[in-house]
Amino acid sequence: MDIIESKSWVEWLITIAKFAFCFVPVLYILLLIPMERRGAGFMQDRQGPNRSYIKVPYFGRIRLLGYVQNMCDGTKLFFKEMFAPKGASKFLYYVAPAIPFAIVFLSPCVIPWFGPMVFEWGGKVVTISGSILDSDVGILLLFGFSSLSAYGAVLAGWASKSKYSYLGSLRTSAMTISYEVCQGLSMMGLLVLAGSFSLTDIVSWQEHHVWGIVAQPVAFFCFLIATIAETGRAPFDVAEGEPELVAGYHTEYGAMQFGLFYMGEYSHICISSFLVATLFLGGYSVPFVTTETMQAHMGGSLAILCWVLAFLALAFLHMMHRYSKKLAASRQSNKNVILQEYKLYKLVGWVAALVFIAAGVASWMFYTPEMAHTAAGVNTIGTALGTAAIHLLVLVVKSVMFCWVWIWVRWTLPRFRYDHVMNLGWKIILNIAILNLVVTAVVAKLLGGN
Amino acid sequence: MLALIYFIVLGIIAIGSAVCVLLSKHPLYGALSLVLTMLSLAGIYGLLGSPFMGVVQIMVYAGAIIMLLTFVIMVLNAGKDSKTPMFDKVSLFVIPAVIVLAGLVGFALVRAPIVFDATTLRGSVKLTSETLFNVAQEGPGYFVLFEVLGLLLLSSMGAAVLMAKKRLGSEIEEEK
Repeated sequence: MDIIESKSWVEWLITIAKFAFCFVPVLYILLLIPMERRGAGFMQDRQGPNRSYIKVPYFGRIRLLGYVQNMCDGTKLFFKEMFAPKGASKFLYYVAPAIPFAIVFLSPCVIPWFGPMVFEWGGKVVTISGSILDSDVGILLLFGFSSLSAYGAVLAGWASKSKYSYLGSLRTSAMTISYEVCQGLSMMGLLVLAGSFSLTDIVSWQEHHVWGIVAQPVAFFCFLIATIAETGRAPFDVAEGEPELVAGYHTEYGAMQFGLFYMGEYSHICISSFLVATLFLGGYSVPFVTTETMQAHMGGSLAILCWVLAFLALAFLHMMHRYSKKLAASRQSNKNVILQEYKLYKLVGWVAALVFIAAGVASWMFYTPEMAHTAAGVNTIGTALGTAAIHLLVLVVKSVMFCWVWIWVRWTLPRFRYDHVMNLGWKIILNIAILNLVVTAVVAKLLGGN
Repeated sequence: MLALIYFIVLGIIAIGSAVCVLLSKHPLYGALSLVLTMLSLAGIYGLLGSPFMGVVQIMVYAGAIIMLLTFVIMVLNAGKDSKTPMFDKVSLFVIPAVIVLAGLVGFALVRAPIVFDATTLRGSVKLTSETLFNVAQEGPGYFVLFEVLGLLLLSSMGAAVLMAKKRLGSEIEEEK
């Protein structure tokens, strides 16, 4: 068939491999849940859940710094019985939790995970875009999906035939609509500057001019607030406010149905933090370095990347060392068990640090310009893949930072009252966003003239 | 070929869920079927080479307007309205109208040649914006319509706010 022969096998391989990015939000759940629970512990000056352990024969107990607790909770949710309250409309009750979770798999397709890959293969120059679906309506598609995911909460609340769920779903539907307007309008200024809906274009504009947060600081804060409200997290979690509504729209849900809501919420945080990082923090672009410079000195860039990772491994080792010292001096009864476990982490940390340092030295020494570029000056596939890896890691670091902002805000601010939330949305953020858009448009017209 | 298969699948979903809007007993199920119709229509727009229209369809209609509709249904009569009879006196007017409309559309479809090239872009962002905001003298002049529509929406919003404010304001004053 023509469509198969139109690309070489490497192109097909990379194009299909990009679909793996659909699973990034689901993988982020694994990161976000321990981050949230231990982060909450950190904020509230307590330990956080860290008592569950796996017993390894001949070694001792492994708690993975509290990570095992999350596995236990997940297992519990997974094996609980699914039930529906009497009088619930069965079909919608069972379908509703799946809606936000299904949309999670669609949303990552328009986010550019790395810059467009340009390399030479088989005598031809190949270009592969960094997003799964390189469309010129990119960000609008993302907003469309995000607005659809609110149906899950609304239908769940209606279908479970409970007054509390019902009130929660009413609040969700009203709040989603109001904050979507704010979200869309606050980002419009940036779109005016970049002149495109495509996220790839927006990132490349930021790479060659300034980051969105510098160009549009007001829009950044409006967008961040609106996005936090959109994910339905504290301080905007009026839809599931415990003092008033038990648990809001998922009051009647248990087992993995509740788990799906929970996972949907965390995946939404992941997508939103990727979106904020892409729009306002330069996305995949490395600070102060353009992609061209990086590709011209590919060996050095890879070496610096490896050494940054090695530094992180050393920081982890230092943390472990301090913990062990503190623990050894204490009079905790189970300290020998924990010290045994920390020895394992130290070993892993040392191995990781040495491997990263060695990899850095190797890429510094052996990645010659002949390997990086062909005679015509086009990148080889190695350079293209290396650039993509650096871009991806930079984007992940930025997004993890914003994930932490979500957790930080949740455990810092108390819940707003419902009318306060509505006032904030319609009377303050919306007006600031419109004003920002008008000012941006006028300034852009005067300066840029297009 | 592939586009035709997609088109048939999406068309069947669109028509099926549109029929469901008419047949469903509870208004909320009707609204949900309408969401499905909107989504498959968005897919058809994308297939016709205008992704912008499709995405706006998802954002505005499926995401916002039907969400408002479900909100209204849930506030007004979500609990008790599941026993509305499917046919009443109004159906006498609705059903013939639907049949006549279906006949007309079917006639037009049969007469028109169905050629369909999925690769041409008919409504990309660039094309849409250039057509819509073509302010040249000899241009199509759609921007005038756009401005008029904006004015219309603004005035209707102002009227709604005015109406809402009058009632709510008096109640709040009484409380004080």
